[in-house]
Amino acid sequence: MSDTDTLIRTEEVTSLDVPWNVVVNDDPVNLMGYVTFVLTKVFGYDEKKASILMIQVHRQGRSIVWTGEREKAEFYVQQLQGHQLKTNLEKSQ
Amino acid sequence: MKAMPTLEGGLRIDTENFNDWGVLRSIIVDANDATTHDLASRMGALISEEVGGEDWEEYIVPDLREGFHDELAQVGAAIESAIHIADGGPGPIWINRDEVFPWYSALNQARLALEERYHFGPAETISLEGVDPVKRTAFMRSKFYCAIQCLLLDHVMSPSKLPQQNP
Repeated sequence: MSDTDTLIRTEEVTSLDVPWNVVVNDDPVNLMGYVTFVLTKVFGYDEKKASILMIQVHRQGRSIVWTGEREKAEFYVQQLQGHQLKTNLEKSQ
Repeated sequence: MKAMPTLEGGLRIDTENFNDWGVLRSIIVDANDATTHDLASRMGALISEEVGGEDWEEYIVPDLREGFHDELAQVGAAIESAIHIADGGPGPIWINRDEVFPWYSALNQARLALEERYHFGPAETISLEGVDPVKRTAFMRSKFYCAIQCLLLDHVMSPSKLPQQNP
């Protein structure tokens, strides 16, 4: 038996996960109708919402098309890149 | 060469001679352009180091590469099969509804590769004046691929014409 005892204290810290943005960037190749089509197909957006996002890509050069947890954001980026849209992932501000 | 929608909801392309088949074959050649980084690598480069670009390169890019390759292989095989049936002469090639995604993808891969190599830029800013013949020919191929894509989008890929899919 030792003279000193070791005290183990466990602390649980909970913090909110930072949301992640899925960003589609403009390019001179992908047709506007195709971008709308892909956003409809991948996210299940209705045509009106997909068209608004597509116009944002075209006019502003980029659009945040989805925000949420990282794992799902990565899945969506992979899907969009598989459809050849210039897509990246960023931490939401 | 003529292209027209079919009653079954697909697209039919009628070639008139061997040169037309060459134009269709060039889809695969352009998409596989070895002078630029391949499309999957270019997609991977969009993911920065800070958000895990290294892992993306290791785990996701190979899957993307395989998917793009499979789509090109499917379209390439369809073209070669049609050439064989037509014996290199005038003949049709069909793009059925269930084949539309590989076709659209192959055409897009070819256009993205041409853009990466020649930097045509947005359609409204392109001027062919004084452009060297190789780039001019590449531009005409890109326009042709784009025209087929527009037909596919308008006549085959509109949501009402495709079977319902889970998002």
